[in-house]
Amino acid sequence: MPDTLPFEGLKVADFSWVGVGPITTKYLADHGATVVRVEANNPLDILRVAGPFKDGVPGPDRTQFFADYNTSKYGITLDLKNPAGIEVAHRLIAWTDVFAESFTPGTVDDLGIGYGTASSLNPSIIMLSTCLMGQSGPTASFAGFGFHAGAIAGYYEITGWPDLPPDGPWTAYTDTLSPRFLAVTLMAALDHRRRTGKGQYIDAAQLEMGLQFLAPQLIDHGLRGRSITRNGNRSDVMAPHGAFPCQGEDQWCAIAVENDRQWAGLRRAMGDSDWAKDERFDNAAGRLAHQDEIESMLSEWTHARTPRAVMDALLSEGVPAGVVQRSSDLQQDPQLAHRGFFRNLDHPEMGTVPYPGHQFRISGYDSGPRTPAPLLGQHNEYVLKEILGMTEEEMVDAVVAGAIA
Amino acid sequence: MLSPYTVLDLTDEKGELAGMVLGDLGADVIKVEPPSGSPSRAMGPFLDDAPEMERSLQYFAFNRNKRGISLDLEAEAGREALFSLVEKADFIIESARPGEMAGRGLGFEAMRQANPRIVYVAITPFGQDGPYADFPASDLTLAALGGPMSLQGHPDRPPVRLSLPQAWLHASVEAAVGALTAHALMLRTDQAQFVDVSAQTAMIWTMLQGMVAHSVQGRDFNRRGSIVQLGTVNVQLVHECADGYVVIFPIGGALAKMVEWWVRDGIVPEDWLTAEDWPMYHVKLLQQQPVAHTIEEVLDAVGAYVRDKTKNQLLEQGLAEGVSIAPVNNMEDLTRFRQLQERGFWLTAPLPNGQVAQVPGIFANLSETPMKVHRWAPKLGEHTGEVLGDLLGLATSQIAAASGRALE
Repeated sequence: MPDTLPFEGLKVADFSWVGVGPITTKYLADHGATVVRVEANNPLDILRVAGPFKDGVPGPDRTQFFADYNTSKYGITLDLKNPAGIEVAHRLIAWTDVFAESFTPGTVDDLGIGYGTASSLNPSIIMLSTCLMGQSGPTASFAGFGFHAGAIAGYYEITGWPDLPPDGPWTAYTDTLSPRFLAVTLMAALDHRRRTGKGQYIDAAQLEMGLQFLAPQLIDHGLRGRSITRNGNRSDVMAPHGAFPCQGEDQWCAIAVENDRQWAGLRRAMGDSDWAKDERFDNAAGRLAHQDEIESMLSEWTHARTPRAVMDALLSEGVPAGVVQRSSDLQQDPQLAHRGFFRNLDHPEMGTVPYPGHQFRISGYDSGPRTPAPLLGQHNEYVLKEILGMTEEEMVDAVVAGAIA
Repeated sequence: MLSPYTVLDLTDEKGELAGMVLGDLGADVIKVEPPSGSPSRAMGPFLDDAPEMERSLQYFAFNRNKRGISLDLEAEAGREALFSLVEKADFIIESARPGEMAGRGLGFEAMRQANPRIVYVAITPFGQDGPYADFPASDLTLAALGGPMSLQGHPDRPPVRLSLPQAWLHASVEAAVGALTAHALMLRTDQAQFVDVSAQTAMIWTMLQGMVAHSVQGRDFNRRGSIVQLGTVNVQLVHECADGYVVIFPIGGALAKMVEWWVRDGIVPEDWLTAEDWPMYHVKLLQQQPVAHTIEEVLDAVGAYVRDKTKNQLLEQGLAEGVSIAPVNNMEDLTRFRQLQERGFWLTAPLPNGQVAQVPGIFANLSETPMKVHRWAPKLGEHTGEVLGDLLGLATSQIAAASGRALE
């Protein structure tokens, strides 16, 4: 008997694009919902033109960036600048439970698919609009890439080295946390609708979700004017606390000594080196005051060993340590293998590629991903006929009128 | 939205945001702390720099919309009270080491006996089982083992994490997603559910397009400071301006508009206007076609233009003329950021030391069930009497025995 999936039967019309919206609806799709991803042919979803591309060869159906976040979904290409395309959009809106979009604020109203229209077509619809700044306010129209968002939300300021310009987090940091907030909000809205029959409109600014993760420091700043800035890998309360060079080409092991007990563990792991017996290092205050010295001596020890050997030696003495893993290392990670985290899917154009699984496991069913992402326009006919129930004639009329991009 | 539901939050700093998210969404969240308080109460920053239990801003920030009780789970009375609460609850969230709760007789199996429809969420570094399950972990080592560190930092320096802890926050919001996913399944199966959240895998998802890069393209991505690569060409995104830094990606129509600015200001000669089809300049770079002006010349012009202007001037000018220029906001900039003020994002909160502060507000605006902050973080045991007395009907003496503390 097939697994019962949590969101089986749920219908989602996903008009969003790039990162945040599609990642949010991926949760629903992989966990059972029927998600129709509405795309344009021009411009293409930015993820379809950004790599990594299979074997380094570009193409809209060859990028894992798009593939990872659109699993278990159906894909249709609509021309929303054509009235026939809007007519199909209206049918999707009437069909769906959840309607997601991430255009620049005002766009859906201009297109004739704003919340007013959507809720008149479908009174209990749940509509999610997400963008960087939110639907209102003086900079609502700011349209940028993820690195713009990361800078505005404060994350460039706190990533890098104090003596250098900010390095910034890897690409679009607010795209990594916003979908979590949005997925749980949609699920709560769905539960509310199940009990009350009432849908609603959700305006979610990625900036405002982003600031949730900086809350203690933002409050502290308001009280005392202390502005936290980037500090390499150092901590205010722990030392040593950093990435240490290891044997091999650009290999590193992260080490965090959180307390005196772990410092003793680190000393044992190093075979009780003479330099570490220094009493100045016996407590956190002393280690923080002399961390240049500690980092330099510790680096000598790590440099003679592979990152794996450093990690194993420290973990066995109860000291938090971790190899700085690249994507190739993740494929070899025994914990991830045990968890079955990566799943191979066979994609019509990319072949068999590992896909990341979900970050939580729920006993009793497989959370997928279930099927690879749609090729551009792969399910145009399926969506029109099977999902929207159009007759052959209606479909031909829509296509002739230019509904499909 | 979640008002019919009760959440028992037994977490420490590794999971407190999970319960807060459910509380923001309307659930009745009961924060269950040991008589000594949640370990997060010992984490700074502290009000007045005083490292005291009721002065932790870490605790204050991630425990709004919760009632707080203390329970002594080493005492029989405390355990009985917990099980009585479990019978009335819909969710339990905990962040103990794998097996620890089960070892104390408080694990999933015991809880589902008490409540066969319970959703039990466990947040751990690596998951409940497997070769790493018992390993110690820290924010830094999770950023390493989860991969994002390999992508961050200057190429001539070690890889870096974000300078503020993030791993447990990602895992916590993910746990809230897992909780409602499992709840949806429970409604269909009528069976208790166990949700196993791994912080390491939550960090992997922060790698975005880097997660499986090697398997797809045959090579890993590596850290490169703030440089974006256009084909074989490096484009530095961060530029120093009069009061800090801005992020500019000079491509397409935005580049064409900026060339106009540069000519107007005499930064580049007038013939730049016609020297290139600027909206298509980045395509030429990608295709390694010859260009009239190198990317270095273009980036020099960007740098020269922004040098004497402030972050806000550049943001405003960009907004008016369709060029995305992002200020590298610091805490001070965020506090004053007009967008946040005009959207009413900030809230005013009374702090435990009597001060009043501007604090971050809720994370989304909902039309039918607006999110509100009903209450700020509880003092230790603030609602013990209310919860154990009114909800469970315990007498005062029983409450004292269960909570391990005298009543407030």
